[in-house]
Amino acid sequence: MNENEPNFESLRRLLALKRHEMPPPRYFDSFSSQVIARIRAGEAGTPASPLEHLFGQIPWLLESLQTFEMKPVFAGAYASALCLLLAAGVIFAERPESTSQASGEPTPQIISSFTSATTAALPQPVNQTLIADNSINPMFNFQSTPSSFGQILPGAQLVDYSLPGN
Amino acid sequence: MTEPTARNDSEPIVPVDEKDLVRRAREGDLEAYNQLMRCYQERIYATIYHMTANHEDANDLAQESFIKAFQALKSFKGNSSFYTWIYRIAVNKTINFLKRRKNRIHLSLNNLDLNAEHDPDLVALISDRTPRREADLSELQEKLNEALLKLSELHRLVVVLHDVQGLSHDEIAKVMNCNIGTVRSRLFYARQQLQGWLSDYLKPT
Repeated sequence: MNENEPNFESLRRLLALKRHEMPPPRYFDSFSSQVIARIRAGEAGTPASPLEHLFGQIPWLLESLQTFEMKPVFAGAYASALCLLLAAGVIFAERPESTSQASGEPTPQIISSFTSATTAALPQPVNQTLIADNSINPMFNFQSTPSSFGQILPGAQLVDYSLPGN
Repeated sequence: MTEPTARNDSEPIVPVDEKDLVRRAREGDLEAYNQLMRCYQERIYATIYHMTANHEDANDLAQESFIKAFQALKSFKGNSSFYTWIYRIAVNKTINFLKRRKNRIHLSLNNLDLNAEHDPDLVALISDRTPRREADLSELQEKLNEALLKLSELHRLVVVLHDVQGLSHDEIAKVMNCNIGTVRSRLFYARQQLQGWLSDYLKPT
C-alpha cells in the first residue's frame, strides 16, 4: 500500500459493528409470507394499473426508467435532447413558412389592389383622426367608410358625474 | 427440492436451481417466488436498513421491493443474476425514498446481537474510559449511524455494500450500474469523510 494513502483499517473494524445490528427475533420467519399475502391481495383486489401493464408489455421501458432513477444525469440528458429536438422542430417549422411566403403569399401588389377595391366599395370617411389612426393599418382605410347609420363621431366625450345641486 | 449452495460468508445463499425458480415465478408460481425471497430477504432487508437506519422503513421498503420485483419479473431477461437484479430494484427504491424524505431522518436502530460484545475488532476499538462496555457499543452504534447518514445516498450505498455487506467492487458496479472506477472513487471519498467525522472513536493504527 502507498504510504501516503490513508489507512482505513480502523474504520473498517468500526463498520463491522453494523453487521451486529439485527432485526427483532423471528422477524424473517414471517417476512416472505407477508409479501406473498400482499401480492395475493393485490392480484385479487386491484388489477394492474395501465402503467404496470405497459411495463410488463415493454420491458425496455422499465429498464430505461430504472436507469433514469439510478442516474439522474441520464434523465437530464434525455430531457435536454428532447428540448433541443423540440426547438429544432419549431425552427424548421418556421422556415418552410417563410419560403412559402415568398412563393405563395400575396404580394404587395395584390394587397394594394385589394385595398383599393375595398376603398371603392366602402363609403366616405367621417373623421380626420380616424384617418390618422388607420394609417397604420394597410388593409382598411376608413377614409372612404361612410356609415349606414349616419356619421359616427369617434372620440372621447366628457361626462359630468357631479350630483345635482353640488 | 432447492439445495442452497453457500459460497462464502459475505455472499448470499444462491439456490442451485435459481433459473428454474425464476422461470416458475414468472409464470405466477408464488411458492417458487417464496423460495427465491427466502434466499435474499435478509440481505435485501439489511442493505435497506443500513441505508435508512430505520427498521420500520426498511421493513416497508424491503416488502415493496419484493412485490415490485414479482410484478416486474416479465422484464427480467436473465442478462444479470436474479440477485443483482433484485438488489438493483431495492437500491433504486431506497434511494428514491431517501431523496423524497431528505432532512426528515429518524433513527430507529436495531439492537446489537450478543456477539458484538465479544467481537475482537470492536473490543479493540472501545475506549477504556467507560467501564460499561455495553454503553460504549450503543454510543458507538449511534455515532456510526449518524455519520453514515451524513454521506450522500450513493456514497453511503457503496460503503454499505462493500464494508458492511462484503460485496466486491465488481458486484457493486453491476448493482449500481456504473463502472468499477466510480465505485472505488466513491468508496475512497466516503471512507475519508467517515474517518474525519469519527476520528474520536477510531484508534490510530
